[in-house]
Amino acid sequence: MPPETRNLIRITEYLDLDVDREQWMCNRCGHSLGSARENYKAGCLVHDRDPREVHQTLVRGDFNFSPDPLWVRIVEFYCPGCGTQIETEYLPPGHPITHDIEIDLNSLKERLRKGEYAIRGQRLEVGE
Amino acid sequence: MPIPTLAEKLEWLKPAPATERERDCAARVPQGDYEIGVQVTNDILDEAMEVFVRSSRSYFGVSGDSMVAIFTANGDLINAACGTYLHAIIQPIIIKFVKKYYSENPGIREGDIWYTNDALYGGIHNPDQVAIMPVFYKGELLAWASAALHTTETGAIEPGGMPVTARSRFEEGLNLPPIKIGENYELKNDFLEFYSAYGMRAPAMFISDLRARCTTADRVRIRLLELAEKRGADFVIGLFRKMSDTAEAGALRKIRELPDGKFRSVVFNDAIGRTPALVRSCYLTVSKKGDRMVFDFHGTSPENPSSYNVHPQAVVGHIANFMYEYMFHDLPISSSTFSAIDFVFPEGSIVYPDRTAATSCCVYIGMQARNATQNCFAKMIFSNDKLWHQVAAPPGSQHTSQICAGLSQWNLAVSDVLSFALNTMGQGGRSAMDGMDAYGFAWCAFGRAPDSEQVESELPITVTISQHWKDSSGPGLHRGGSGGVQQWMIHKVPTVVSMCMGNGSKVPIGQPLFGGYASSPVPGISIKKADLLAQMKNKSEIALDHHTIFEKATVHGDWHYELVARAPQVFEEGDLLFGLSGGGPGYGDPLERDPHQILDDLEKNIISDWTAHNVYKVAYDPERKKLDLEKTKQLRDQERKARLARGKSFDVFQQEWSKKSPPQEILQFYGSWPDAKPTGPVIR
Repeated sequence: MPPETRNLIRITEYLDLDVDREQWMCNRCGHSLGSARENYKAGCLVHDRDPREVHQTLVRGDFNFSPDPLWVRIVEFYCPGCGTQIETEYLPPGHPITHDIEIDLNSLKERLRKGEYAIRGQRLEVGE
Repeated sequence: MPIPTLAEKLEWLKPAPATERERDCAARVPQGDYEIGVQVTNDILDEAMEVFVRSSRSYFGVSGDSMVAIFTANGDLINAACGTYLHAIIQPIIIKFVKKYYSENPGIREGDIWYTNDALYGGIHNPDQVAIMPVFYKGELLAWASAALHTTETGAIEPGGMPVTARSRFEEGLNLPPIKIGENYELKNDFLEFYSAYGMRAPAMFISDLRARCTTADRVRIRLLELAEKRGADFVIGLFRKMSDTAEAGALRKIRELPDGKFRSVVFNDAIGRTPALVRSCYLTVSKKGDRMVFDFHGTSPENPSSYNVHPQAVVGHIANFMYEYMFHDLPISSSTFSAIDFVFPEGSIVYPDRTAATSCCVYIGMQARNATQNCFAKMIFSNDKLWHQVAAPPGSQHTSQICAGLSQWNLAVSDVLSFALNTMGQGGRSAMDGMDAYGFAWCAFGRAPDSEQVESELPITVTISQHWKDSSGPGLHRGGSGGVQQWMIHKVPTVVSMCMGNGSKVPIGQPLFGGYASSPVPGISIKKADLLAQMKNKSEIALDHHTIFEKATVHGDWHYELVARAPQVFEEGDLLFGLSGGGPGYGDPLERDPHQILDDLEKNIISDWTAHNVYKVAYDPERKKLDLEKTKQLRDQERKARLARGKSFDVFQQEWSKKSPPQEILQFYGSWPDAKPTGPVIR
């Protein structure tokens, strides 16, 4: 099914939900990011970034305008198709990755079926 | 002791069901009269807010960190003006407590003035004090009026009202459960003397702010009586009911429109008192089904023996700040907007501590619940065709909350906050545009930075620079708004005492959104025995750009970079303090930011060349400020390829990542790693 005829909903700036195929998709390149019943982050490439590469260390010492890399890391999630940075999380090293979005797909489909929602411009329009 | 339980507090947040009389009165308020009636309440509150700001003495009051509100006879919030939305939803707890326990003894009568600042009984933290007056019309309790404001002194073990070294509530100075402080429209002198004893570090400010609260609440009372006299008590009762019902319907409609599901956010705090320590300050799961929502805080770190704990209703207050700024911005400020929202707080956590806990610095934890809420809602509402433009990253909230105490140049006792660094924070990047630069105070959307010359005339400091803080905002497709920086020189007095509250020196506060980056951490910075005054006297060429001052240490003296939370220290004339307000986190992939906007950011000193090159990957001639768009495209394509090369599959990443942990010595207050469960009792 070509992308323009699918039921695609924008869930974030870079994350589309293909309702019919129950897939996460990259909004920029259409690359599939896995089952929409799972964490979309599992479909991304992931990188543990030293925060000093993004926040300039301005002075010497422990308090230097940059996050302390022993305390916190930037976990970057990239689209494997186009390299767009879909999401970032500032986490202490080793802290579990957050499952931040769990859309109730069954409810969403039911509301679409009942006409409670319509998809226009990749967004959910609510019927009056 | 009838200290309200969590169950009581949560129940009292909800509006009471309509009585038969209320329904009958509401049915008799015609369209047209209803809209006019709503506007009359707005006008009453706006007038009272003006009275409040002009009558207050503390810099929080001058900045407008306050709220004026109207409640039904039952105690449910009907409308408010602010200031800050912090107090909006939770003040009914105080009124309903008074009604439940004090109706008989000492009784609730016309002319009463009630007062409280105790978070255990329903407030935010003890610097936030509120005066509440019942409004009687022809002998009938018709409504309540309140005025709430943060005053920067409580007689605690440190000046400024938010002691960073307090371990329990018994070190926080004045903690006043709801009490009648006036009768027959007159304050009791014995209470005023008792109260003044807690404010002797800054008596003029302390007493003026109390009187400002009472004056303001009374102005609301007088105007409500004028409305009742003009339209009758039934009209007022019906108007209130209809306003409540309209607000509830609006909130339910908004909630119902959102997709069902669960949305999570996790945020971290890096200071427990003045101890650098990592805690999971909020682990939030928002469950949304139909027209109901549940906020569940399970997974949040345990309580700790410092003032960095927050009572549950104060968490709700912080969440109200987000809800009314973004989600419910077009709805009345009313208890009924929260009627469909429930809260779950795990006992013994940092968001539901023991009754003896210190909570005077609760705002640093409460704000993180607001930030987590904002992230959850961004992911919940982006798909909605009407609400997506309300998506934004949280505001910058790390800042220097510097207290200046001692004798002023006028030999007056002072203890107040240097509030520029509060009221110039950056807004988080938004879905359609950047966050606003220096937009306000994360706790008080309408907060205004004070006039520097007024500050200089009242406090023993000179403001020597006042600028946007370069690179404070989080990069992104839409960057966060810039924070600010001021340099303060102790002036015209031999010494002052200064302490500082805050967090965010090691770990940025507030997660960014959709691939953006967080804002800069905020160190505590001071220079003792600084030679700036000598440089000025010698008419030397003085560096005025804060980045240059920091990077090149152009002022000579004993520089201190430390955790922003600092116990009181003595500073001498000529010493320098720096106040920094956090920028907002960024929104979206920085590689998608329009290069022309980056050039504009450079021109305005919002970002550095370092950030333009290393984060935004933009090519330009630094002298002529001319973009090289082709080279920029090449640099960005290279960076995307580099991402694909260095990024690991989720499973491979997890295998390596899960073996890591922060150093053990910073986890003393975290709870068990990584799930943050309590590991032992808290000794206070």
